[in-house]
Amino acid sequence: MIHVITAGNRSLYASELAQHHLIRHEIFVKERGWSALDRPDGRELDGYDTDETIYLLALDEGRVVGGHRLFPTTRPHMLSEVFPALVAQKVPSAPDVYEWSRFFIVRERRSGRTYLRLMAAVQQLCLEEGISSITAVIEMWWLPRFHEAGFVVHPLGLPQPVEGVATAAVMIEIREESLARVRQLGDLPASVLVRRGDSPPLVRRDGYRLPVQ
Amino acid sequence: MTGQSVDYGRGAFEFIERVCALRSATDVVRLFHEALGRFGYETFIITGLPNGGQRFEQLVLLKHWPAGWFDLYTREGYILDDPVAVQCRRTVEPFEWASAPYDPQRHPRSAEIMRRAADFGMTNGLCVPIHGFVGLEACVSAGGSDLDLSPQAKAAVHLMAIYACNRARQLLAPLAEPRKPLLTSREREVMTWTAMGKSAWEIGCILRISAPTVNKHVASAMHKLGAANKTHAVARAIERREVNI
Repeated sequence: MIHVITAGNRSLYASELAQHHLIRHEIFVKERGWSALDRPDGRELDGYDTDETIYLLALDEGRVVGGHRLFPTTRPHMLSEVFPALVAQKVPSAPDVYEWSRFFIVRERRSGRTYLRLMAAVQQLCLEEGISSITAVIEMWWLPRFHEAGFVVHPLGLPQPVEGVATAAVMIEIREESLARVRQLGDLPASVLVRRGDSPPLVRRDGYRLPVQ
Repeated sequence: MTGQSVDYGRGAFEFIERVCALRSATDVVRLFHEALGRFGYETFIITGLPNGGQRFEQLVLLKHWPAGWFDLYTREGYILDDPVAVQCRRTVEPFEWASAPYDPQRHPRSAEIMRRAADFGMTNGLCVPIHGFVGLEACVSAGGSDLDLSPQAKAAVHLMAIYACNRARQLLAPLAEPRKPLLTSREREVMTWTAMGKSAWEIGCILRISAPTVNKHVASAMHKLGAANKTHAVARAIERREVNI
């Protein structure tokens, strides 16, 4: 299951969050070679790991096996600060638009359904929280995977090479149909999310009800 | 960004918007061919690559190839030695045909394929591998003789190719609707106990209903599942994942 970690329940997940920063270092710095993210303490974290960041972590008996994060686009965020050149027109910024980043899965889970669970998780969370779309910087070879998962993806600019890999800024619509498709593809349950503790809605929490199973 | 790259982008975004709204594969062929034409491409194919005993011609989704070339290509089984097809399996990044490596000494057939393609006006091209969750799913390959191979033009073709392929797949192999459960929760309950070998009388005791009521639920489930008998209904319910044991 995918755990939702916000400012409100962060204290319940201190060790999982610490673990996730080490795994991010392992994957993004060591495996992917994003040397700009290297830090001497062996953790990968940046200016978009703040109190406002929402983490979605795939946990297996306390072990972090994958995850990603969401960050408000009303704040300076990666697309506006680091990758504005990937956007042809205006960088989207609105209370109901979040930036999605740092999608990772530990090596031994990459052939399984963890991908689909994490993709369902972002759609489900955004539906429940009133987020209408998310922006992301993606490697282009992932785009057909998003299509396969039923995600509606709009390019924000032409792809450009980043560290030798064609990369593009995109906006992904949050849709019940996309969640239904990815659930069907992965044979996933109605809810893939675990929520502990209380947290205020990110935008509003009145528009979406889980389908009955 | 320069004015020119803005135009490349605009053309690609317009294409994407239009291709997503098309209702037939023929329209996708026409629009994609027209869009590629602005960069000098004259031919394209959107196809799966055969594994094991699969036949190439059955994996082709859309194509705008010279008829003679498709006949020659399939008759000669070129797909097995085509350096572009071989390279497509090795990379996730788009690549120019001219960069697909082969050794003309060791693979004279590869050299022959590239030469014959040129005879049909395809001296170079761009190939975009399409990867799904289980690996390489398809490739989009466009060719011609006088191509705009500037980085922006290639980026525009890369983007358009992925959307053309996605639309082709949606139109040619429509996704199954997510399945709605056929059975009521009571019917699922009864069928689950049935699957575990319980008799109508036993299920009645467990669920605190009468045996005839149990049988009524079984009959209703059989009817909904189009099953000939109780065993058949259990098998169908498990297959549809409405009963888990």
